Amino acid sequence: MRKQILAPIMATALLACAPALQAQDTVKIGLIQPLTGSVAYNGTADANGARLAVKQRNAAGGILGKQVELIIEDGQCSPANSVNAAEKLIQRDQVVALVGAFCSSATSAVMPVAGKYKTPFLTGVSSEASLTEKGNPYFFRSAETDALLGQAFSRLIVDNLGLKKVAYIGVNDDWGRGSAKAFEQELSSHGVETTLVEYFNHGATDFYTLLTKLRGSGADGVFVAAETQDGSTLVKQIKQFGIDMDVFGVGSWATSDFIKITGEAAEGIYAAVPYVSNLPGERNQRFVEDYSAAYDHAPGKYAAAGYNSLNIMMDAIQRAGGTDAEAIVDGLHATDYQAPNGRYRFTAKGQGYGFEAALVQIRDGHTEVVATTRIADPEANHAKDGQ
Amino acid sequence: MDMLLQFIANGLVSGAFYALSALGLTLIFGLMRVVNFAHGELYMLGGVMGWLATTVLGLNFFAGLALTLAVMGACGWLVDRFLIERVRDQGEEPSILLTIGLSIFLTNTALLLVGTAPLTIEGPLPNKPVFLGPVVLTELRVFAVAACAVLILAAHLVIRHTRLGRAMRATFQDPMAARLAGINTARVYASTFALGTMLAASAGMLLGSIYSTHVSAGGLVSLKAFVVVILGGMGSFAGAIVGGLLLGLAEALWGGYISTGTVDIIGFIIVILTLIFKPYGLFSTQVERA
Repeated sequence: MRKQILAPIMATALLACAPALQAQDTVKIGLIQPLTGSVAYNGTADANGARLAVKQRNAAGGILGKQVELIIEDGQCSPANSVNAAEKLIQRDQVVALVGAFCSSATSAVMPVAGKYKTPFLTGVSSEASLTEKGNPYFFRSAETDALLGQAFSRLIVDNLGLKKVAYIGVNDDWGRGSAKAFEQELSSHGVETTLVEYFNHGATDFYTLLTKLRGSGADGVFVAAETQDGSTLVKQIKQFGIDMDVFGVGSWATSDFIKITGEAAEGIYAAVPYVSNLPGERNQRFVEDYSAAYDHAPGKYAAAGYNSLNIMMDAIQRAGGTDAEAIVDGLHATDYQAPNGRYRFTAKGQGYGFEAALVQIRDGHTEVVATTRIADPEANHAKDGQ
Repeated sequence: MDMLLQFIANGLVSGAFYALSALGLTLIFGLMRVVNFAHGELYMLGGVMGWLATTVLGLNFFAGLALTLAVMGACGWLVDRFLIERVRDQGEEPSILLTIGLSIFLTNTALLLVGTAPLTIEGPLPNKPVFLGPVVLTELRVFAVAACAVLILAAHLVIRHTRLGRAMRATFQDPMAARLAGINTARVYASTFALGTMLAASAGMLLGSIYSTHVSAGGLVSLKAFVVVILGGMGSFAGAIVGGLLLGLAEALWGGYISTGTVDIIGFIIVILTLIFKPYGLFSTQVERA
């Protein structure tokens, strides 16, 4: 262990002593994730997935004949800190590419920095739709947008749950509002009646007032956009309140932690997720085994996002044949990556598509995949190639 | 009508919780005049300690609560003797800076020790619904409201009817005269801070068993507690109770009839109105300060 820590330090020290040696002996990739603050839990999972991807690649010989060095900075999900982290990674560490920065607002702030220094920048998490519409040629997203997720799942939800009237509850931020709106729009187009749209603030603990309204709304299903903490509190209180509705949500729901915290109140709820550890397929099985061996628990959505985004970036650098930014961008456009959860490709605007997403139900403390669907190419005229 | 009754019930329950969370602050801020921005973090530590005691050490809820109170009381005492004492009688700014620093330190220490995952404390009663006509509550909530009442009453009795309580009141009215009368004021300050810390910690553990807790829970708690103390009047127990209940009711009705997404705004409106029309709060015990 000690040797593993010392090796990169010594390598860096040598490099500092001999600036004349132009050829770097590692390929440096910068990762910005929230490691402290309110979403630290999810950001840490992403960083763990990224570390695993790099470790595996290095064990297999690295890229361009060199080892990959992953440098992780804490962006705290805040635009200001994420920009500082990006400046530090580009200026001081001279990374060839950036991955990050979790929260959409933070990613959006890092984008112009990446553009200014001509550094390829990939996010595996930020789902705010407009990011890929900003015309930044260095920016790519290997994650679903709220609209793509809504589009992929509305049919599944109507078919599998048979809902007629649905209430929508979301956390009061860009993501929560965006998700609630996207699902409402898609479900309405399938003839589902909207009975209630309400939002709550991050960190809210008492949902009884909201639930009183929900009970009075006469819905037979409720859509919830929330992350682990808020989501588990809300679901527990829905059960305490004696509300018997189908609950389906987006966010980090189908994780072992969510189930552990929520307890038996989690039974029967549905989650629309881009990744869950028991997706079918051999690739995923291998990923779950490797991840569990490294971290003692099964990977969730964000661990998979970190793992995939680093692999996509390393593939692109390999394809580029060097560390020239334009070549890496071309390499990213040519992505055809076999992930644990399907096959990733990018549109001309840098939006990822082609990967699988799953509707899962929590039964007996485990997630069970009810159905899977593919995130369609958003530019293929809303063509749906779901299964 | 059924909705209104449920809203009122919700408001009274969360109001009782606000009152309890604010009680420690009403002692420390209201009486001692230490603007304690670390109040929410003391509340959070109570929840974390409670989780450690019940989940890691395997104690039952009440034994866990007793242990939490003992540890947090000692912490409060030490914080006062080693930190707050250094800035006593130097105006409010040094204590504001000190407690902000303390809050950052406590949050990050807790982050290092227990991580970012939400923590659930096993409550003494099941969280099963109880129906009172059209109104839904849970056994645990009824218990928590009762526990709030007991804790508030106990704190009131300590301050009104014990030797320590008399020494406290004397010290905060006039520290010089109290010292001349032979009261060890340093000990009184430390005891008050310890008592305030214990109240905050017990609120943290009690509410952690109803909701869940996590290391960054403190910020919102501090904010609401300041609202309650300013509305109720500095240092007034009756004020903290009435202030808490009013805030709970106002939030429940605003959330119920206007929108739940904007519910945190009501606290700020209340503070602004209080400061304009009744700057000493509804039940101020503070008359003129020399």
